[in-house]
Amino acid sequence: MDRLEVLSAQLNKADLWDDPVHAGRISREHGSLMNKVEDVMAIEQELVEHIDMIKLAQEENDPELELESVKALLRIRRNVKQKELEALLSGEHDYCSCYIEVQAGAGGTESMDWASMVMQMYKSWAQHKGYGVSVVDEMPGEIAGIKRATIEVDGENAFGYAKSEVGVHRLVRISPFDSAKRRHTSFVAVAVIPILGDGSTRVQINESDLRIERFRSGGAGGQSVNTTESAVRITHIPTGITASCQNERSQHSNKASALAVLQSRLDQLEMARQAQMNAQHTQSLTEISWGNQIRTYVLHPYRMVKDLRTNYEVSDPDSVLEGDLDDFILSFLSTSLDKDEE
Amino acid sequence: MRLSFIRPISCCAVSSPTTLVKPQTPLFLRPPTFKTTLTDLKKWHLWAKSLASSVGSAFLNLDNGPDSNQLLRELNWLIEDAIGTPKSILEQPHKSRNGNSTVLIRTCLDELYVLWKQRVEERRPFQYVVGCEHWRDLVLSVQEGVLIPRPETELIVDLVDEAIKENEELRDGLWGDLGTGSGALAIGIARILGSKGRVIATDLSPVATAVASYNVQRYDLEEKVHVKQGSWFEPLRDNEGEFVGLVSNPPYIPSKDIGGLQAEVGRHEPRLALDGGASGMNDLIHLCDGAVSMLKPGGFFAFETNGDEQSKFLVHYIETKKQGSFSKVKMVSDFAGIQRFITGFRGR
Repeated sequence: MDRLEVLSAQLNKADLWDDPVHAGRISREHGSLMNKVEDVMAIEQELVEHIDMIKLAQEENDPELELESVKALLRIRRNVKQKELEALLSGEHDYCSCYIEVQAGAGGTESMDWASMVMQMYKSWAQHKGYGVSVVDEMPGEIAGIKRATIEVDGENAFGYAKSEVGVHRLVRISPFDSAKRRHTSFVAVAVIPILGDGSTRVQINESDLRIERFRSGGAGGQSVNTTESAVRITHIPTGITASCQNERSQHSNKASALAVLQSRLDQLEMARQAQMNAQHTQSLTEISWGNQIRTYVLHPYRMVKDLRTNYEVSDPDSVLEGDLDDFILSFLSTSLDKDEE
Repeated sequence: MRLSFIRPISCCAVSSPTTLVKPQTPLFLRPPTFKTTLTDLKKWHLWAKSLASSVGSAFLNLDNGPDSNQLLRELNWLIEDAIGTPKSILEQPHKSRNGNSTVLIRTCLDELYVLWKQRVEERRPFQYVVGCEHWRDLVLSVQEGVLIPRPETELIVDLVDEAIKENEELRDGLWGDLGTGSGALAIGIARILGSKGRVIATDLSPVATAVASYNVQRYDLEEKVHVKQGSWFEPLRDNEGEFVGLVSNPPYIPSKDIGGLQAEVGRHEPRLALDGGASGMNDLIHLCDGAVSMLKPGGFFAFETNGDEQSKFLVHYIETKKQGSFSKVKMVSDFAGIQRFITGFRGR
């Protein structure tokens, strides 16, 4: 609101348009803020109207009207939630698309199965949000599940939301792979990497620093072999960082996808390095650092999903595993916003 | 082989009465005019998945063939090519979508059963099943009678690209792709040439020249790529000494090894494109000999070989038998670390 007043005052100055670029920027920011304020006021008014309507419906004994207004209130609630989330996504790279990587912890098949459940959770979440989802890299487990996988989530604010998921996710359940039906605890680590837009400075990669290898090669190759498997692994020799892709239909495309992942990993490494030099950012970096346990999913002996950072919890693990993550993300983002303001 | 013999469609081939093959349209390019229900499609999908899973690593152990994981990935691609609507409808049924809703597909459901049976039980190559191969950033039509271009061969285009960047004169000259098959190399190279650059692609097989011409047409390269039918340099006699570059992926497998090949290759791909004679090097040697008179001074060549042994032999052959004809002759390895290519330049 303060900012709006400042901008209004500037807009009313007579000499504003002497500098058209500056004026344009002020006028755009003013317009966008005005829109937001108007949105909030409209929601407020709608809310009051529908509450009055429900009161009226109850007095008139009109269940149909009441139901309609209740539905409208639910719609408003969803809408407000969405607006709240958008307000929370103001980080520098929040608007970017991203990669989500899932890695099974120790514990063999049980944790590999957990890894594929977590990956499925993110795929469903991203699909519900209307993002494009594609598998870049996937290493299946011997018996079930996945050892690790990388998906690309393509769309606005994908990184801003998904970054809340970085850390270790813990599962407690009766393992379907244990014939003795014992309770098992498994872990999966999740990493999220932004895919920087064209406007950002990206790390320069020298072709000569790359080692490119065929995956699962062996045998004579060439004409003697007909395989649709053309995975490659790319190693950035100076940093030892690797990336691979095997889900594209040509080696050329696998190489291009792997290179894109490698680029984003190197960008993230560079961002982390710069953040370290900048004390201000150290705080926020520790919050999304790899290795912290962030959430527990309990399927047995009781049913619960609890976020250890925000203490937000729900008693319906199935819906969470089906991708209903927005409440967890929202509560994490608001908690980190509150921390930032302190 | 299902080839129908109708009027020639090839516009660029040197007129030859045997060029009467009509290339097949890849599955993904056919119109989605067949209808089925979601329930029936899912039933097929389940059946196809269990057929793929039943393979386990049996083929892998038998002859280095595909395992279940690879077959399941191919199944996803088959769905991608066959369905007009996004394939996610199979995995993530929307709650409001009922099982009787119509799905549009590019071939009838019965044919999908047949195709997947052929893939798994007859080991018919996946690329023949869907009628295309993704190669570099291209999607090339392939069919029985034409060698399916291999991932290794993609690198020849990169080698040509490097050579052109070092010597821009090569960009607008005449290139030759000998034994073009599906036209992969000719098309890949044509796309990095300048406005005056041209490629002549030859192949002995009428099926190959028909398919190559079709692929050239699909990428709107009729002006740049001329497909000619004939053996190696024969169709190029008019252009002797005019080439700035020659590439080839000739047959190089020794005859005695043909019998032991992976089923997808040995049973289904054309022997003409695989069998390089007793040592596997009949055609490679013929190409090295011919390159001397075909290439302009400074012209570039890149040939694919069976690997380390053949590459070493050829480098030695060129250095001793073709002394002074070529310079900067070297071996280049593929991403598996095998010396897969030999490259060099015609001496100036």
